[in-house]
Parts: sequence; C-alpha cells; structure tokens
Amino acid sequence: MSKPTDLVQGTLDLLVLKILALQPLHGWALSQRLKQVSGEVLQVSDGSLYPALHKLEQQGWIHSEWKPTENNRRAKFYSLTRLGKRHLEREAANWERISTAISQVVRLTEIS
Amino acid sequence: MMRFENWLYTLPLRVRSLVLRRRQNADLHEELLDHIDRQIEENVAHGMREEEARQAAVRAFGNLVAVREQTHDSWPWVSLERLGQDFLYAFRQTRRSPGFAAVAISTLALGIGAATALFTVVDHVILQPIAYKDPGRLVQILKISQYFPTGTEPDWTDIEQWMNQSRSFESMAYWLRMRGRGNFLVKEPISLEIRGTRVSTNFFETLGVRPEIGRDFVSEEPSKAAGSVVISDALWRTAFAAEKGIVGSAIRINDKSYTVIGVMPPGFSFPANSNDQPQVWVPIDPAADEVASQKSGEDAAGVYYFVLARLRPGVTLADAQTEMNMIQRRVAAQYRNPEYGKDQAGAQLTPYEQTLVRASVREALLALLGASLGLWLIAVVNVTGLLLARAASRQREIAMRSALGASLGRVLQRMLVEGLLLSGAASLLGLGLSIASVKLLARQLKDYLPLGAPPFVPDISILLGLLSMTLLTAAMATVWPAWMAARAPIEPALRQGGQQAGTGRHQHRVRGVLVSIEIAMSLTLLVSCGLLLRTIYTLRQVPLGFRVDHILVASLDIPRYRFAGHDLMSALYQPLLERVQQMRGIEAAGLMSRVPLGPGETVGLGIPDNGKVTSAAVGVVSPQVQRILGMHMLVGRFFNGDDTPGSDAKVVVNRAFAQAYAPDKRELASVIGMDMWQLKKGRPLHIVGVLDDQHAFSIAAPSFPEAEVCTCQLTPDVDLYGLANSEMQLLIRSSRPEKDIVPELRTLLRQAAPELEQVDISTMEQIVEDSYGSQRLAAHLLAGFGGAALLLCVAGIYGLLAYVVAQRTHELGIRIALGASRVNILWMVMRQAGTMLLFGVAMGAVNSWLSSRFVRSFLYGVRAHDGWTLASAAVVLCACGLFAAYIPARRATRVDLVVALHSE
Repeated sequence: MSKPTDLVQGTLDLLVLKILALQPLHGWALSQRLKQVSGEVLQVSDGSLYPALHKLEQQGWIHSEWKPTENNRRAKFYSLTRLGKRHLEREAANWERISTAISQVVRLTEIS
Repeated sequence: MMRFENWLYTLPLRVRSLVLRRRQNADLHEELLDHIDRQIEENVAHGMREEEARQAAVRAFGNLVAVREQTHDSWPWVSLERLGQDFLYAFRQTRRSPGFAAVAISTLALGIGAATALFTVVDHVILQPIAYKDPGRLVQILKISQYFPTGTEPDWTDIEQWMNQSRSFESMAYWLRMRGRGNFLVKEPISLEIRGTRVSTNFFETLGVRPEIGRDFVSEEPSKAAGSVVISDALWRTAFAAEKGIVGSAIRINDKSYTVIGVMPPGFSFPANSNDQPQVWVPIDPAADEVASQKSGEDAAGVYYFVLARLRPGVTLADAQTEMNMIQRRVAAQYRNPEYGKDQAGAQLTPYEQTLVRASVREALLALLGASLGLWLIAVVNVTGLLLARAASRQREIAMRSALGASLGRVLQRMLVEGLLLSGAASLLGLGLSIASVKLLARQLKDYLPLGAPPFVPDISILLGLLSMTLLTAAMATVWPAWMAARAPIEPALRQGGQQAGTGRHQHRVRGVLVSIEIAMSLTLLVSCGLLLRTIYTLRQVPLGFRVDHILVASLDIPRYRFAGHDLMSALYQPLLERVQQMRGIEAAGLMSRVPLGPGETVGLGIPDNGKVTSAAVGVVSPQVQRILGMHMLVGRFFNGDDTPGSDAKVVVNRAFAQAYAPDKRELASVIGMDMWQLKKGRPLHIVGVLDDQHAFSIAAPSFPEAEVCTCQLTPDVDLYGLANSEMQLLIRSSRPEKDIVPELRTLLRQAAPELEQVDISTMEQIVEDSYGSQRLAAHLLAGFGGAALLLCVAGIYGLLAYVVAQRTHELGIRIALGASRVNILWMVMRQAGTMLLFGVAMGAVNSWLSSRFVRSFLYGVRAHDGWTLASAAVVLCACGLFAAYIPARRATRVDLVVALHSE
C-alpha cells in the first residue's frame, strides 16, 4: 500500500483544494482531474485520495453532499467552504514564496 | 492544532458523525464503491472487457481495506472508540489476574489515601483563604518586648500616634475580645452563649466586608456608636429566626442593652478562627475605656488592644515594618517608665493569616504532608515494579501486537489505560480511606488545630487534587514499563517459546534499583517515626510536678450577667464548692484560674525591679488545690483556713520565681516575706511560700516565674477579681470512677446556673495527654506511615525475588544438577536481597540525615541527627527485608530437579 509521504500529502491537499475551488466534484472526477493536471508526477493510488478528502472535511476546509448524477445514480460531491477558500489563498501564497525561494537556490548552485 | 473558527464550524459535522457512526461507515463504503464503478465504466468506455476493466480499476484504487482504515483515522469518534476498547481490554486483563489487581490497587490506595487525608487537613487549615477582602494585605501590629517574646499589645496612646504618623496603611483598626469567655445573649428561658468582640468603628471597613443587612459603625464618633451592635449571620439565624426586621431592635448582651444596626454576611467571622459560633461585635470607645481603667484605681493598668491594619497597595511588609519601627521608637521614648520605653522600642508586624495558625503547626502539617507524599511515592514505585514484571511476562503478547501493525502509540496507550484503571480504582478506595481516617483523627485534630476539624466530605479542590493525583499515579507507574515493553525488539520475543529466560538482567537490575529506592524512602519515614516515638517517651518521663490520677476538671464558663453586682466568690463559687464537697466519695474540691497544662487564664504582671522589668504569670487558687494536685512546697506554707479577705494579703510563688527574684540567689527561702505588687491600693502581697516547679504551660518548656493568690482574698474590689469573672476551673479529687461523678456534677452545676450544665469536663490525665498535642498527632501519623512503608518495602523485596526465582527455575535446576549445594543457592538469592538493602539503607541514611530537620521542631530530648534511632530503624528494615527474601530463597533451594529441567 503506497502511503503518500509528508511532502506529497501537503501537496495533495493543496491540489485538491485548488481543483475544488474551480468547481464541486465527486471523488472519481476529482481523481481524474488530478491525473490530468499533475500528469505522472503524483504517483499515488486512487484510493489514497479518500483519507485526504475526509481529513480536509473534518478540518472544515471542504464540505460534502450527496447529489444525484446521470442514470439515477448519486455521488458524494465535495465543494470548498468559505474557510477553505481563505486557507487555499494563504497556502497558495506560502507555496509561491517557498517554491520561488527554492528555485532561486537551485539556480544559484547551477551558476556556481 | 485546529483553529477555533474551524472547530466551531465543524462541530455539527463531528456531532453528526458521532451520533450516526453506522451511517458514516455505510456512506464511506458506498462512496468508495461508486468510485470503482465509475472507473470500471471509464475503462470499458476505453474498450476493455468487463472483467479486465474491473481488475484494472481495483488495482488502480489500491488496498480497499487500508483506505477505509486510514479514512477512519480522520474521524473523531474512532480514537474514542479505541479508548473504550482499551478500557474494556484493561478491565478484562485486570479481572483475569485478581491477585495482581488487588495488590496493586490496595498499595496505591494506601498511598493516595494518606496523601488525600493530609491534603484535606492542610487545605482546611492553611490554604483556604479567609473571607475578608484581599486578606493577604491585613497585618497585625504588636510592640516588641524582651519580656513577652511573642510581642505585647499597644494601648490607645500608642495606637493614636501610629495612626497619625504612619503612611504604609490604608487604614488601621483595633479590637479586643469582650472580656474572657462566658458572654451571653440574654433570653428566656435560657440564654445563648456567644462570642463577643469589641472593635474600632473603622474595623469592618478595614476588613473590607460590609454587613448583609443594615450598616456597620463606619464614620461614627466612637461615643456616638456606643450602644450599637453588629451580629453574625449564625446568631441572626439561631436566635432571631432570620427575621429581616431585626435591625433597629434592642437586644441584651450580659448586663447591657444594645441596638442591632447590622447583620454580617454568612461565613463571616472575626476572629477568623471562631468557626460558626454565634458572634457579636460592639464598638470600642477608647476614651471610655481609659476612664473605666482609671476608675479601677491602678495607674499602671491600661487597656491594650490588638491592632489590625491594611497595607496600602504596593507597600511591602518590610517597608511597613521599617516605618513602624521608626515610629514606635519615637513613641517609646516618651514613655513615663524609661524601662518600658527601652524594652518596647520597636514594632512587630505579622500577616494576619499567620497569626491564626501557629508557625509550628504550619510546619508540622507541611512536614506530615511531605511524609504522606513520601508514602505515596513508595506505593507508586512499588506498583511500577509490579507492572514492570507484568510487562516482562507479557512481552510475547506485546511483540505479537506490534508485529501485526499496532503502532508504538497504540501499545503505550493500552498500557496507560491499564494503569489508569488501577489508579482510578485505587483513588476511589483511597478517598474512602482518607474520609475514614480524617473522621478517626477528628478529635485530635479538633483539639490541636486552630480552625477546628476539617469537614469529612471533601470539597472540589480536594477532588481536583485527587483527580490529578490519579492521572499522575497512572502516568508514573506505567510510562516506564510501557515504554520498555513497547521498545523491546519484536523478533527475539516472538522466537522464544513460553517463558523467556532472557527478559534479562537489565530488567532485574532496574527493578532492584526501584526496590532500593523504596527501602531508602521507607528508612526516612521510619527514622522520623522513631525520633517522634522517642520524643513522646522522653516527654512521658518528665516529672510534671503534680499528680494526674483521679482528678476531674470542669471549666466553668459562667453566665456573668446573672451575677452582675454580686460577689462571685460568695454568690457562686463558695456555695458550689461546698455542695460539691458534700457529694459522695469526694476527697477534695478546689478552684483554680488555670490548670497546669490545661485551660484557664492567668494575668501577666510586670515587676519593676532595680531598673529591670521582669514578669510573672499570676493566677488565683483555693487552698484545697495543693492537696488535689499534690503540689510540693519547697519553703514556707500554702494557703489555709487562716487566710480570709480581711487578713494580710498573701502570695505563693514557684521555684522559677524565687530563682529570678530572691535577694539571695543561693537561698530560695530569702524570697519569703518580700512584698510583690499590691492586692489593691495599700495592701501589698507578702510572699509566704515557694512551690516546686510544675510544667504549667508545656511539658517541653522550662518553668516560667509564677505566682498564686488565694481565692479567699478575691473580693470584687481586687484587681485580680477579673480572673474569677472570666473562667474558673473546678478541680475534684475522687476515687469514684469518672462516669459516676460527671452526671451528679452536672446536676449540681445546673442548680447553680442553667448555663453551666454543658461546660467541658475532663480528667487531668486527658489534659496532660492532650498537651502532647503536636508530638502525639505527628507520632501517630508517622507511625502509621512508617508501618505502611515497611509493609510496602517487604512486599517489594518479596515480589521481586519471588519473580526472579520463578524465572530462573530452569537455571537453578541446572546449577543444582551440576552440584551447587542448597546453601550456595540460598546464599545466591539472599545476596541479591542484601545488595538491595545495602544500597537502600545507604541512600536512606543520607536522605534521613538531610530531611530530619523538618521534624526538628517536634523533637524533645532527642537530637534530629540521632545515630541510635537511625541504626535501629535500619536494623528493623533489614530484618524485615531479609525475612521477606528468605521465603523465595528457600523456595529456590527446594527446586525439584525434574520439574526444573522440564520447565522449558
């Protein structure tokens, strides 16, 4: 069983929030979207998405709701909460800062 | 941690998930299956066959069970549920080994119970704040004096100057007990005994407490406030049925009438140690007091007050002390008698709270609390050892669980929960023990503690203390064994079959150290106990100077108002004495103002003597008392029938007095015939006899100069008449048993005055016994603690060695097979016990040496660092320890070869 490492976990949370910020999705659609946007970088099994989703829900960042889908079926849709939106903004800004800093450091070493 | 905003936001979610646990599980199941279904459809849409598509989807999803488990982890109730499981498991474990549980729980209960009982007392006596505003800033101010080491009270002249000159205080009030005991609220048919206090008009303002109903004396001229009274809530409820209209009505206290102006709130009392006695407060008019004292004739006699002042915010006690010293030095310089001026040139400030509990009592209680905590620690260490052994024998189970994926935290939690269960049960039992022991000690505590016995039912602070103690006990006793068990390598534990011979030397050594620590702490308790037992023994050997057998003492709290205007001697005491003497089987009956070591009062009189002021305690006594107490005359005579109100005024002094004042120090008889003081103006007192010393105030203290005046010369115009007016002690010598005389005596007393029926009656033996007070209480408690500690030690040594022997059965068998003699084996086990004892006693000796200073204040006739006591305690401990070791050692020598070799 591949359990996401801490680094990936943090990134996964951020990605999930970002995708849900665009539109509410159910789990499977979310996993499809994740694969699309991250390509092969995020090497996790489909299942490991769910512990992450439930944790985000318990923390109050996202909200879940059963909604009907095509062919008389229903699925659990996740959407971003007001708190989640703010959290995403903060985290995104953080991410921006750190990644800029890291890429600068990386470039520095290349020059020298 | 989670932000509060999120916590609030997700609260409904969490509550819902807690209530609908089953629904949530089903939901998750549906959600996960839905995901897989959609993936299958997607795969089929991409052209896979049905079966192939399913397999691919499941593969991509990963381990379904693990995903579900991990998701569970994020749900709030899961950890709760696990905790519940752990409790259930622990409960089953405990039930499966009832012997272990019983030993662990009763050991801990002993420690927790002792500590809780002591904490109940300490909390009651020391920690609970008094019901005044900011009581920490209230200070009592006395003048220093060499002749009165505890300080002496100021008179109005002093106080007036202090008030005008000092800057350290917000306000300064003064008070005085309404003279003596025996104050009554006069009512029909029977009057109610009350406690009366005279206070300055700014008194309640200084305490920062206002009456619940009505007003106090605030901002009134003392002369205007005269005749008004503030009453306590208890009096208001018992005597006036809590009637609201009480304010403004007139009540009668002793022989005067007062107007009630206020009722204090419930729980208020002053002095603060009066408990719930009904109380009244009347205003002091210092000018009137002065007139009254001058009228009584003696110019030296004044009225002295206790001063209670409130420190200004920001002013420290030391600042105020410095200022008051300076002021009092100036004030004392103006005294008419320069000797007094020199003696009293300073002030002494004490926080009011400290004046309530004597420093020695405070120290004693804290030392005993420390001892009880020591016992608790011993109990915890003992149980730690037990749990360590248990964890070792469960190594396999723990290893198995770790191998199956239980995390370190989970293993720790399970063992902590077990510890919590044990300590929780022990706390309940300990609470019961502590309530029972406080009840048992209540009588002793009541006599000994200033604030009365503590309530039996523990209050919230005790329960909180108990709760934290429970948690601490569980944590201390389990963390180490749990940590060691959880950290142990899994593989060897699993590989070994059955008993694991190798749990190791390390484990045994650790347990050995624990037992040594127990021994060390027990030795410390035993030494303190030994020191106190020797103190009690020494005190009992001190010759008292009077007889104690067949003597009854009744403390006569007389209702003075009934005899106002009468001569108490002829109206009450003489007739009463005559009737008592006519009772059957009475050898003698007499009166005394203060019984040696017992209740009553004396007057401290200063004697100006060639530029030196010395003082003596002066009391009154009737002639029969010499025979009753068997007092020994050194020189001269005691009082007899020749002494009458009209005859020469006479006084009898004690040896200490003669040694201090005799003109010729080598010849005590030279004191006879000297004139001391005056019975009243123009009637000097001649010394006619010298008594041998008695221990009047304390067995441990040296005798103090004392003098006695005969009751037969005590007429109302005599200064000392005040003693007859407050509380006299009736002494009776009789060969009849106490329980026969007391009812008859009470009948006689009731006939004299109805209020007298309920006075305290005690035997002289009891009075002497009670005077051992602090030492006796401390000795009893420490003996209990020491005994318990010894028991725990023995259990600790026995437990460890029995366990070691059981574990080493196989090895012992081999040794015996190879030719080791039984003596060798016995020696081997005993040596282990010897090592533990040796280390324990060595540590304990150092520890007792360091900690015996805490008991120093109790000791009499024995030094705090007493080698003999230490040695005997060590011998007792070693003997018990070796005996405890001998049982398993003997078992080791009886190991059956066949069984031992097959035991693997």
